[in-house]
Amino acid sequence: MLILLCVCSIGIPAIAQDLSSIQIHGFVTQGLLNSSHNNFFTANTTSGSVQWTDGAISVSDSITDKLRVGIQLHMYELGQLGGPHLDVDWVSGDYRVKPWLGFRAGKVKTRVGLFNDSQDVDAVHLWALLPESMYQTDNKSFLLAHFGFDVYGTMNLGEKGGKVLYTGYAGYRDLDLHGGYINTLRQAPLFLDFPSAPSGSIYGGDTRWQAPLRGLTIGMSASVSNLNGTAPTGGISAPASLLLAYYGQYEKGKFYAATEYRKNPVVGTIPTSFFTVPFSLDERAWYVMTSYRLITKLQVGTYYSHYNDKSKDTTLPANYSKDWTLSSRYDFNQYFYAKVEGHFVHGTALDFYTVNNPGGNKTNSNLLAVKAGFTF
Amino acid sequence: MKRSIVTFLFSCLFLGCSFAKAQEVVVVANKSVKASDVSDGDLKDVFSGDKSSLKDGTHVVPVTLKGGPAHEAFLRKYLGKNDAAFRAAWRSLVFTGQGSMPKTFDTDAALVEYVAATPGAIGYASASVANHEGVKTLAVK
Repeated sequence: MLILLCVCSIGIPAIAQDLSSIQIHGFVTQGLLNSSHNNFFTANTTSGSVQWTDGAISVSDSITDKLRVGIQLHMYELGQLGGPHLDVDWVSGDYRVKPWLGFRAGKVKTRVGLFNDSQDVDAVHLWALLPESMYQTDNKSFLLAHFGFDVYGTMNLGEKGGKVLYTGYAGYRDLDLHGGYINTLRQAPLFLDFPSAPSGSIYGGDTRWQAPLRGLTIGMSASVSNLNGTAPTGGISAPASLLLAYYGQYEKGKFYAATEYRKNPVVGTIPTSFFTVPFSLDERAWYVMTSYRLITKLQVGTYYSHYNDKSKDTTLPANYSKDWTLSSRYDFNQYFYAKVEGHFVHGTALDFYTVNNPGGNKTNSNLLAVKAGFTF
Repeated sequence: MKRSIVTFLFSCLFLGCSFAKAQEVVVVANKSVKASDVSDGDLKDVFSGDKSSLKDGTHVVPVTLKGGPAHEAFLRKYLGKNDAAFRAAWRSLVFTGQGSMPKTFDTDAALVEYVAATPGAIGYASASVANHEGVKTLAVK
């Protein structure tokens, strides 16, 4: 992270310019999390934690009019998650034959819903934390990208029909060895220490219609994936399951509104040396959000994010999470910005880990998230 | 008399605002671009990163201004976005591996110079500085 910070601090505007067709861009963020009751995301947030850092650097080059190649390296730290590990966020070759047909191959971002592929790019969002019901900060690296290929394009439906953007993809993906899911599997009572990341195949697609009414987008995503992994003392096995997402957004001048619904039923088993644990989830998540740019540099917004596991008793706080959020972002200039955000969380289905909440979770917990970012 | 003066001052203020708001922005392209006009939809697609060619098949590379009246007017008129939303959309493409950031310029004159010297380049500028022998002005239909 130190190297990234140094790279970003020295002569930023100069290196942001392209050298011929090569482009170098990057971002770094540093956050503070402070919560009223439970500790969030494996960090000691009740005492205030600054263990929340993100950074990435990308290099890309347009080799011909139609062919572009690039790579992005990314690292993050969130409490005990992430750490000093530089990961390849994406690395791809992109060949666009026609506006309606292009191919992308390598490690490519997975397009699911409105923000899945950009959820680790803090600089583009008002929110310090996207709705946790579907963009879980502690597990974002799992759904973020896949190794494989994309077919994509844009089809114009005429002046009165708007246009359709589509993406189809297939490949495989793996669990982040330093992410939230692995952290949970590593803890009691399972004690599964995976030497290599559990992985599985994934295929799916996304279609979004940009309506003739300027600023209105409506879309849906579908994704089928499985997951298998083996540890010395057991493993994890989840057969193919279907994730569906439906969404819409509207943007007009300073005003923005969006909503999204996601359904993701998963069943599987976790065999250990001593016993086999069957598990099932039927995740239903939705959110509504709106924001307004008060002045050129200041944007404010709010969202309500709702999650529950329909396979269990949804009246129990352990099986749902409801989050009211108020947020603001101030852009000092094109490069620096700051965010201040308040979360009022009810329910404990998301965000909390036994390891740093040994006394159990309180049903209600508020969280203050403050973040400063730099991008070029 | 007093009322006339107040009316006159308000009229001046109103007209001044109108002139300031009605910043005339034109679309300029390198002379290698065959088209003499561009549709509103194509223009939006090119400057949103959804397309890199016009309907006649000409490959184009968008270039933008860093700020200023022509920049704001162009975004508002043809993309329906403010500068922050425009920049965020491009950053989203760049950091997800789906696009390359357009080259940006501090002044209209610098942008026009670059467009004149770069085959396929397409940009926008205040009408007053767009008159350059190396560029053509595209009508937006």
